[in-house]
Amino acid sequence: MEEASPASKFAYTFIVLFVVWLFFTASLDPQELAMGAIMSLVVAALTYDVFTKAGLRNLHPKRVAYAIAYIPYFLWAMIMANLDVAYRVLHPARPIRPGIVKCKTVLNSDTGKLALANSITLTPGTITLDVDGDEYFIHWIWVPDEVLRAKEESEHVEHASEAITKPFEKFLRVIFE
Amino acid sequence: MVSVLKRGLAIITLLIIGYWLAQGLAGVPFGQDKMLVGQYYLDHVKQQTGAVNAVTAIVVNYRGFDTLGEVTVLFIASTGVAALLWGKRRKRTAKTEGSIVLTTGTRLLAPFVMLFGAYIFIHGHLTPGGGFPGGATIATAFLLMYMAFTVYEIPHRAFEKTEGLVGMGYVIVGLIGLAIGGYFLFDWIWQTWGWGHNNIGRLFSGGFIPVIYTIIGIKVGTELSGIIDNMLKEEVSE
Repeated sequence: MEEASPASKFAYTFIVLFVVWLFFTASLDPQELAMGAIMSLVVAALTYDVFTKAGLRNLHPKRVAYAIAYIPYFLWAMIMANLDVAYRVLHPARPIRPGIVKCKTVLNSDTGKLALANSITLTPGTITLDVDGDEYFIHWIWVPDEVLRAKEESEHVEHASEAITKPFEKFLRVIFE
Repeated sequence: MVSVLKRGLAIITLLIIGYWLAQGLAGVPFGQDKMLVGQYYLDHVKQQTGAVNAVTAIVVNYRGFDTLGEVTVLFIASTGVAALLWGKRRKRTAKTEGSIVLTTGTRLLAPFVMLFGAYIFIHGHLTPGGGFPGGATIATAFLLMYMAFTVYEIPHRAFEKTEGLVGMGYVIVGLIGLAIGGYFLFDWIWQTWGWGHNNIGRLFSGGFIPVIYTIIGIKVGTELSGIIDNMLKEEVSE
């Protein structure tokens, strides 16, 4: 994925910041809008280079639709994750089998990797420890049998990725790649 | 044994001082109305300054000298740190690059932190906050960059020039007041021009408070970033 032009990056940063300003002020007063536009322009001019690589391409309707669809999907996963942890805490036998596993991701962009790492941390008993290239090192609260009994590393990675990164990747690949 | 004796003496002294302060404060009635000047501020703040936030009106308008003094203190602190650490060749010596989660997160967060800082100082006359919290928030964005990247440095030239210019801007705003209204830091936008009289509580009101808070916000932001920059650099031997 090649980098977008500076103009496209600047425009994208400005749009994002201006939308955030609208949420900050929660008002459509023309004075607020004017000042918001000025401030967003200034901040975008200072930071557009670090903020984004893909620029306006991020606003492609398909990406936005997937991003919006991802919110309830992710929230549901998060609720289930917390119930799962509550179950493990309250269960008399305390069913935990912790371990660190390695996963591979198909995502290439930095932002996509960040989103995946955070999604993993916030959902079922998994915490991202480190990201190195396309490898994720993840602490799992309950390492399932097929990962535990894997003979080879490739098999181990395959099973772990199937359980941890795949469910998010189908969304994140569209949103960030 | 000496340390036990020392500690015991310190505790006894602190208890005596604490009791003494409590005795002094016991004479002050709690929860009763004892506003003398305060009531004047609350009654007149809107029509005299156009600000809804009484604290900022007092800090910038009624007692603008104090704020000018505070800005000067901060400027001296920043210059002092720079002067103490000046002369030797210094550079960033951080060795470990953060993980991709940290660096990318910082890239994404920094613009929002800056925008929020700007939001705080521009709304100083309407909401809690003002130039100092806004400026500190902006400096946090630069602190984030320093923490996440091993080689990041603020653009020094631009920062030092901006810092000086906005510092002068504050004094110039005050001097214009002196020329128009007869005393330093006279609020000419509100008192003489009457600008914003019809929309108190909206953004473009509050006399020169938003102007001065923008100046202070930028000044504090650049100054604290400069201090961070100075503190984080280590001496390198040739």
